[in-house]
Amino acid sequence: MASFGEKAAAGTGTWVDDRLGSANFVRRSLNKVFPDHWSFMLGEVALYSFIMLLLTGTYLSLFFEGSSKEVLYDGSYTPLKGIPMTAAYASTLDISFDVRGGLVMRQMHHWAALLFMAAIVVHLARVFFTGAFRKPRELNWVMGVGLFVLGLVEGFAGYSLPDDLLSGTGLRIAYSIALSTPVVGTWAAFLVFGGEYPGGHIIERLYPIHILLVPGIILAIISVHMGLVWYQKHTQFASPGRTEHNVVGSRFFPAMMTKMAGFNMMVFGVIALLGGLAQINPIWLYGPYDPSQVSAGSQPDWYIGFLDGSTRLMPNWEVRALGHTLSPNVIVPTQLLPGVIFTLLALYPFLEAKLTGDKGYHNILDRPRDKPVRTAIGTMCITFYVVLLIAGGNDIIASIFHLSINEITYTLRTALFVLPPLVYLLTKRICLSLQHADDDLLHHGIESGTIRRLPSGEFVEETLPLPPQYAVLLETTPERKELVAHNAHRLEGSPLAVEAKPKGFFRPRGGKDGQKELES
Amino acid sequence: MSDSIRDRLKATGEDVDPAAPVSHGEHPVGDPTESTHHSYHAELDEQSAKRAELAVASLFMLAVVGTVGFIATFVFWPNEFGKHLYEFYTPLLGGFMALALLGLGAGAILWAKTLMKDEETVQERHLLSSADEDKQGAAAIIKEGAADAGLGRYPILRRSFLLANGALGVLAVPFLFGLGRFQFKEAAMAKTGWHKGSRLLDELGRPVKLGDLEVGGVKSVFPDVAGGRHMADSAVLLIRMRPDVLHVRESRKDWVVDGHIAYSVICTHLGCPVKLYEQQTHHLFCPCHQSTFDAANGAKVLFGPAARSLPQLAIQVDDEGYFVAQGDFNEPVGPSYWERKPHYKDEVK
Repeated sequence: MASFGEKAAAGTGTWVDDRLGSANFVRRSLNKVFPDHWSFMLGEVALYSFIMLLLTGTYLSLFFEGSSKEVLYDGSYTPLKGIPMTAAYASTLDISFDVRGGLVMRQMHHWAALLFMAAIVVHLARVFFTGAFRKPRELNWVMGVGLFVLGLVEGFAGYSLPDDLLSGTGLRIAYSIALSTPVVGTWAAFLVFGGEYPGGHIIERLYPIHILLVPGIILAIISVHMGLVWYQKHTQFASPGRTEHNVVGSRFFPAMMTKMAGFNMMVFGVIALLGGLAQINPIWLYGPYDPSQVSAGSQPDWYIGFLDGSTRLMPNWEVRALGHTLSPNVIVPTQLLPGVIFTLLALYPFLEAKLTGDKGYHNILDRPRDKPVRTAIGTMCITFYVVLLIAGGNDIIASIFHLSINEITYTLRTALFVLPPLVYLLTKRICLSLQHADDDLLHHGIESGTIRRLPSGEFVEETLPLPPQYAVLLETTPERKELVAHNAHRLEGSPLAVEAKPKGFFRPRGGKDGQKELES
Repeated sequence: MSDSIRDRLKATGEDVDPAAPVSHGEHPVGDPTESTHHSYHAELDEQSAKRAELAVASLFMLAVVGTVGFIATFVFWPNEFGKHLYEFYTPLLGGFMALALLGLGAGAILWAKTLMKDEETVQERHLLSSADEDKQGAAAIIKEGAADAGLGRYPILRRSFLLANGALGVLAVPFLFGLGRFQFKEAAMAKTGWHKGSRLLDELGRPVKLGDLEVGGVKSVFPDVAGGRHMADSAVLLIRMRPDVLHVRESRKDWVVDGHIAYSVICTHLGCPVKLYEQQTHHLFCPCHQSTFDAANGAKVLFGPAARSLPQLAIQVDDEGYFVAQGDFNEPVGPSYWERKPHYKDEVK
């Protein structure tokens, strides 16, 4: 007999289905199969951080005043009492000291933003190194790059809103970068800021951009990004039974959904922990913005750091001729470089397909070692990025380690051009060596523990080919497939197929359970 | 495809298309899809299941404790700056919130991992590209519709239609002009708050007198105009050094007074205030991108991405012994821009 709850649920379901015809969709969606792998959760971290940004940001917007109108501070933070400042800075102080729970929300918002960008970068690396961007998923890759860029813009806008000394310095740099644009620089800078710096409008303009325009676009792109993952079905790593034409994993409902919801709460929890315990951007210590002041060791948020680094490393080239001034010392590191980086990044799937001539569908992920050139390109780019990131903190490094800032800068300038090619060569070499190791394993198989004495008196150890659940991971070329097939019969009746417990990467899927399955 | 796989596919609610390319034959050893199906957690014995249930429930209860703690802290803990125990207010809020969230999250994950079935299910992928007849059909409809619309047949219609759309795009341009005060753009860029006879006021608005600065001392000074203290382009650093170490070029001989020299602090690179002065070396250092200027030699660039010297303000001393500006800067201060002239003469404006 159906309980009351069941009847109520059935009734609601019928009511909705009569109007929307939703049962078919619900049935297919709840049964949707998702392959499982820890690295697939990186993108989820970005998604959950974004949701946290929306939640905390909405709360903050109820108190923040995006205005550069001058007010005298009259809040409870006594050291700044009576000091003239903008309403934006004063309301940020109010959020930090006079709104209950305001500071924890502000800090969670900032931490969530840092985590959002970090998760995007790591997720991007995962997608790159496993080749998940290949046909049919190029569009999702391009959208992901778009989200990365929008995240930078959104983060910088948010960082600038409190109008403290640090953020004001950042805005002035942004204005000066716009100013350096050839031909239209002054127009662009005046257009954005409303006039000669500080222009008097920038806080008022950044506010709707930060809380409505950019997050709206990000939300729209994320929806399509995830919709496509759903529609095109997730990629999967090679394993027995997995082919280019199927998905092997667990169904969305209930275990997968519960795990994802739980993970969502875990990400929220970590952000709450950071927001409560780890102080971030204590704007009351910096003081209100004053164009004639700056604090030593000024640092942007980490995701802007690579651009700060490129700006610091750039030689002071400037062209003054024909009645005009052109500033490669500003344009190259702040406009050209990010332009080139993000364009190449967005185009990478198309470039790779063009250069390799690979036009096929790919649903099985690559192991990085099997694509040495791509993997080497990836580590090369990461090296370039990391050198820039380090350069962004060259003053901090100089003061911590008592080194000369000039020497650090010269060293990093050299490293920026020398290290990436070296890392490229090294990575490619390592990938090829790993491939050789795989080849060895396929050719010679696994030690069986059985020692045989040959008529000549020589002792040899018998080997057995790799059991299928491991061999499938290595079948990346037709030759290897043939080899595995050729050796397969030798496994028959062998205890190895059951008992072998290779370490590390060759751990069978399902851990202890794989074992159980084989015994039964 | 074996029956059991087909059954499982049916169970997933996905349409099983017998024509869809399924290549189980890629794996030479038996039918590998068979071996991937296993469910283990569901077969916990009663005692283990009970234990798992209790563990999950305790995590959920921890989450409840977190929420209660959060509310109690929010309401009762001293939350005003300066009050005793105030410094624990935010950490406690964050900690309890984290407990509520982590408890719920960890509980849910443990629940799914221990008490729910961990099955492996196989689902076919659908071919993403459409059938040829659909492609051709779509192309035909578009072609037919376009022909019907007649853009190809009526050239005047086509051109006027394109023109009207282009015109609508141009309509947005005046709005862009409304965004900035462009009228006096270059004049604004070239001008600062300094004028002939303006006294050099310190941060508190007091005029600076000859003798206020010791040798090796520096002072931030601002023009004697309304709002001069906060003008973004007018901050100046007045530096005093021994007259014999100060090298001034011939055309600027009259711009300094007895070892006192005044430079714009707005960095010629990206506009940060260059105010870190090293007494021994006479170096001015920008904290943003480490451009270093030699204050004893016309603030020329010694290191870093800045390309030009800091502009120098011509100063003198008035009858009462106060420093005054001889006029505005002879060149625009701050970062470079397209309309900036390659050279500016050393004459006081």
